[in-house]
Amino acid sequence: MTTRSHSLPFAQPNFRLFLQALIWVGTAFGIGLLATTWPAVPRDFPEAWNLGLRDPLDAFQRWVVANRASHPVFAFGFTPLSSWIDHALRFFEQALLRPGWPALLLLFALLGYLAAGVRLSLFCAGSLLLAGLFGLWEPTMQTLALMLATLLLAILIGVPLGMAAAASDRLDRLMRPVLDAMQTIPAFVYLVPVMLLFGIARVPAVIATLIYALPPMIRLTNLGIRQSNQAAVEAAQSFGATRWQILRGVQLPLALPSILMGVNQTIMMALGMVVIAAMIGAGGLGREVLIALQRLNVGRALEAGLIIVCVAMLLDRLSAALTRIDFAAPAGTQRQDLLSGWVAGAVAARLSTERAYYFQAYGRLINATLLFLAFLLLDALIFQFGNFPETWRLGLREPANAVVIWARDNLYFVTGPLSDGIVIYLLNPSRDLLLNHLPWPAIILAVAALAYTSGGLRLALGSATGMALIGLLGMWTPAMETLSQVILMVLLTVAIAVPLGLLAAQSPRFSAVLRPILDLLQTIPAFVYLVPVIMLFNIGRVPGLIAAVLYALPPGIRLIQLGIETVPSVTVEAAESFGSSRWQTLIKVQIPQALPSIMLAINQIIVMVLAMVIIAGLVGGAGLGIEAVRGLARSETGRGIEAGLAIMILAIILDRITQAWAKSKP
Amino acid sequence: MNRITPNMMPPKIVCRDVWKIFGRAPRRIFKALASESMQHESMEGHIIAVRGVSFEVRTGETFVVMGLSGSGKSTLIRCISRITEPTHGEILVDGQDVLRMRPLELRELRRKRVSMVFQHFGLFPHRRVIDNVAYGLEVRGVPRPKRRERATEVLALVGLEGWEYHFPRQLSGGMQQRVGLARALAVDPDILLFDEPFSALDPLIRHDMQGELQRLQATLQKTSIFITHDFTEALKLGDKIAVMRHGQIVQVGTPQELVINPINDYVGAFVRDAPRGRVLTAQAVMVSCPLTPTSTDRPTISAQTYLDDLLPLMAAYGDPVAVTDDDGLTIGHVDRAGVLKALIRE
Ligand SMILES: Nc1ncnc2c1ncn2[C@@H]1O[C@H](COP(=O)(O)OP(=O)(O)OP(=O)(O)O)[C@@H](O)[C@H]1O
Ligand SMILES: [Mg+2]
Repeated sequence: MTTRSHSLPFAQPNFRLFLQALIWVGTAFGIGLLATTWPAVPRDFPEAWNLGLRDPLDAFQRWVVANRASHPVFAFGFTPLSSWIDHALRFFEQALLRPGWPALLLLFALLGYLAAGVRLSLFCAGSLLLAGLFGLWEPTMQTLALMLATLLLAILIGVPLGMAAAASDRLDRLMRPVLDAMQTIPAFVYLVPVMLLFGIARVPAVIATLIYALPPMIRLTNLGIRQSNQAAVEAAQSFGATRWQILRGVQLPLALPSILMGVNQTIMMALGMVVIAAMIGAGGLGREVLIALQRLNVGRALEAGLIIVCVAMLLDRLSAALTRIDFAAPAGTQRQDLLSGWVAGAVAARLSTERAYYFQAYGRLINATLLFLAFLLLDALIFQFGNFPETWRLGLREPANAVVIWARDNLYFVTGPLSDGIVIYLLNPSRDLLLNHLPWPAIILAVAALAYTSGGLRLALGSATGMALIGLLGMWTPAMETLSQVILMVLLTVAIAVPLGLLAAQSPRFSAVLRPILDLLQTIPAFVYLVPVIMLFNIGRVPGLIAAVLYALPPGIRLIQLGIETVPSVTVEAAESFGSSRWQTLIKVQIPQALPSIMLAINQIIVMVLAMVIIAGLVGGAGLGIEAVRGLARSETGRGIEAGLAIMILAIILDRITQAWAKSKP
Repeated sequence: MNRITPNMMPPKIVCRDVWKIFGRAPRRIFKALASESMQHESMEGHIIAVRGVSFEVRTGETFVVMGLSGSGKSTLIRCISRITEPTHGEILVDGQDVLRMRPLELRELRRKRVSMVFQHFGLFPHRRVIDNVAYGLEVRGVPRPKRRERATEVLALVGLEGWEYHFPRQLSGGMQQRVGLARALAVDPDILLFDEPFSALDPLIRHDMQGELQRLQATLQKTSIFITHDFTEALKLGDKIAVMRHGQIVQVGTPQELVINPINDYVGAFVRDAPRGRVLTAQAVMVSCPLTPTSTDRPTISAQTYLDDLLPLMAAYGDPVAVTDDDGLTIGHVDRAGVLKALIRE
C-alpha cells in the first residue's frame, strides 16, 4: 500500500481485495488439484533430493574430536578460550562455595539490604536458606556461578559491541538482524555446534547461555549511548575532546543506567536457559530439574523449580536496584539506615569536605563490606561453618508426589478421555492433514500464499525456499509433525488467551487474580510443570501440547490485555457518550484498535510454542525436537545440526509471516 | 557596550559566503543552486540553514546575531568551530582558514582559542561543578590539581564559590549557566561563542546574568559572537547586530543604525519594542550646525549621550541644548520637538 496507490487503478483497495481473494481461490484450487492428483504414496519430500549434509558433518565432528588437541584453531583458539571461561566459572564457584553457608547468607542479606531494605534482605537470605533446606545448596551456588560467569562475559563482549554499534550506523544495521535471530532461534539449534567447538566441561553451557542472553546487553548499551544527552556530547566536542574522550568521559557514564538495565535483562534471560544449558552439562539447578524429569519425580522438580524462581526474583531485584543507584547523588541525601554511620561515618567526620564525600556517598557500602569481611575472618578463625548441615532438611517432595500420584490415580476419568480426545480429534487429524492428505508441493504453496498475503512477494519466495530447504535437509517428515503440533498449540493458546485477555482488561479484579498466576508461570522453567503434566497425561504428545499452551499463555494474555488497555480512554469515552454498551465498545472500538497488539501477541505465542515444541521432543513429543535431542544425546552431530537448521528455518518463517501480518494491519 | 576602539582592530573572525545545507547530498544541492538550475521546491528534502552569510568581527567586539526561530543562527555559530560542518565558504580566525584545518589543528583551535556556551547549558550531569568547569583543561591534558585550581578561580569569578563539589542539577538555572560560562572561560579562549545562553532563564535572572556578562566583558575583553532573540539583550551586549532570516543576514549595523533605519519590516519588527531612548544618541537627532566654539552659559551634552539621559537636562533647562564633539566644539543642537519625534516609533 504505497502512498501513490490512488493513482494506479490496479492498486485500489477494492482491486487489492479482489486480488487477494483470487490468490486464495487459486491456491485452494491448486492445493485441491495437487491433493487429488498427486500419487498417494510418496507424499512427503523426496528422499532422493536430500542434500546429504549429515555425513560430511559427522565426518567433521570426528575430525574435530581427533584434532582437538593438535590443530591450531583449537590449540590456539577455542581451547584456550574454553579454559579461560572454565577458570572464570570455577573461580566464581569456589568464591561462592568456600566461605561456608552463613557467610553467604550474610552476603546476600547485606546485598538485599543495601539494594532495597529489610524486606529484600529477608527474601534473599530466606531463599538461600530454603535452597539449603531442600538440599540444593551446591546446585544453587553452581547456578549462581554460571550466571556470574555468563554475565561477566556478556559485559566483556556486549559493552564494547554496543559501543561500536552506537558509533557506527552501518554496524548497527548489520548487527540488528543477528541479534533478532539470537533471540528467536530456539537454543537447541546451537547446542550441538557449541558443544563441538567448546567441548570442555561446562563451557558449552556458558556459551549457549551467552548466545541467548547477550543481545539485551548489546542493545541497551547501544541505546544508552545513542540516547545520551546530545547537548553534553556537543559541549564536549566544542572543547576539542577526541572521540574516545567523549565516549569514555561523557557517553559511557551517561549510558550507565541503560547498561545496568542490560545487566538486569541479561541475567533474567540467562536464568531462562538454566535447564536447557543443563542438557549440555551446565549442572546446577537445571540438572536437578532434568533428573526429576527423567525420573518423573514431581517433588524434586518442584523444589528445584521453586529455588530457580527464588533465584530469579532475587537476582532481578538486586540487579534492578543497581539501575536505581544514583551515582550523582548530592552529599547528605543518602539513605539513613542501620548501615549508615559506623566506620565510614567516623572516617568522613575527620576528613575535608572534598574527600569526605566518598565516605558519605558510599558509606553504607563501605560499612557492609567491612561487616562481611569481619564475619569472614571470624568464620575462618573460629566458627568454621563449612557446608550447609545435612541434617537440616525440609521436604516438599513427599507431599507433592503424593498429591500428583493421587491425582493421577483418581482423576483418570478426566485425564484419560481428555488425553485420548486430544490425540484422536486434534493431534492425529492435523498430522494426517500435513503428512498424508497434502503432498509436499501443496504445503509449500499454502505457506507461500500465506506469506504473500501478509508480507508480499519477497516473503513468499523466501518462505517457499525455506520450506524446500527443510525438505532438502531431509527433515520434511519431522518438520511437518512439528508444524502440525505448532498450528494446533497456537490455535488452542489463542482460543484461551483472547477471552482471558479481554476479561482481564475489562475487570481489574480478575486481572489482579490472574497476575500472580501468570508471573509464576513465566518464571518457573517450563520443564518443571512438564513433570506433573507428564504424570497426569503419560509420555507422548499430549503433555508437550499442554505444557506449550501453559508456556505461551502468559505473554499472550498479557499482550492482549495490554493492547485493549492502551486504547486511549478518550476514544472509549467518546463511544460511551454515544450510548454504546460495554460489549459494543469492546467489539467496535477496543478490539479493532488493539488489533496490532493482538497480532503481536500471536507472534509471541508462535515463537514460544515453537521453543516448547522442541522441549516436548524430550518427552516423546515427536517431530524435530526429538531429532535434535537425539543429535545431542547420541552425539550424532550431523543429525542434530540438520534438525537444528530445520527448526531455525521454521522459526524464522513463522516469525516473519506473523510479524509482517502484525505490521500490515493499521 | 559601546566601547571605543573596535574599528582600529584587525578582524578576528571573518566569514565569507558561508553555506550550510542539511540533507543527504548537500554538495550536489549547493552546486545546483550555484548554477541556478534548481527551483526552490525541488530541494529533495534538503534544508538550507545558512545561505551565503558574510560578516567580520573585530578583536574585542561583541557581535550579536538575531533572528526568528529556525533562521539559522545556531547553525551559523556552530559552523565557526565546525561543530557543524559548513557546506561551503570561508571562515577565518586570526587569518587562518578554519575549514582547511586538519583534525589536529581544529582540535587545538577548539581546545585553546574558541569556547562555546549553550542554550540548554550542555553541562555534564555526572560530573561535579568543578569538574565540569575543568573539562576543557582536562581534555587538553592539564593535570588534575592544576585544572581544579584554575576551575576554582573561574568559579569565583562568576560568583559560584562554595558550589564546587555540587552536582549541576542541585543548582538553579541561572547558576547552571554560570557554570557553563565558567567552563567556557576556564580555558581562557580568545573567542567566546554564545548560543542563546540566557533564553532558558527567567527574566530576573536573565537580567542578572546580562549584567554579569557585561561586567566580565569589560575586564576580559573577549571577542564574542552572541545569539539572542531579545533585542534588549542585543542592545546591552552588542557592538554590532546582525539580523538573520531564512539563513541570510538581512541587515548588519550598530543598534542605533537598526533602530533609525531598519531595512525592511522584518528588521523593523525586531526593533519595534526597542527602548529608543536607550539606543538613540543626541547625535542621531540633532540639527547639525557648522563647528563653533561652545558658549559656557548653557549646559551642553556630548554627541554620544542617550536620549534617556538627555531628557532630564532638557526638562530642567529648556531647549535647545548644544551638542559637542569629543573636542568640546559644538556640532549641533537638539530641541524638544526633535527628541520627541525620535522617541515616537513610526
Ligand atoms: N542537524 C540538522 N539536520 C537537519 N536540519 C537541521 C539540523 N539542524 C538545524 N536544521 C534546520 O536548519 C534550520 C535552521 O536551524 P537553526 O537551529 O540554526 O535555527 P535557529 O535560528 O538557531 O533557531 P532557534 O532560535 O529555534 O534556535 C531549521 O530549519 C532547522 O530545522
Ligand atoms: Mg538555535
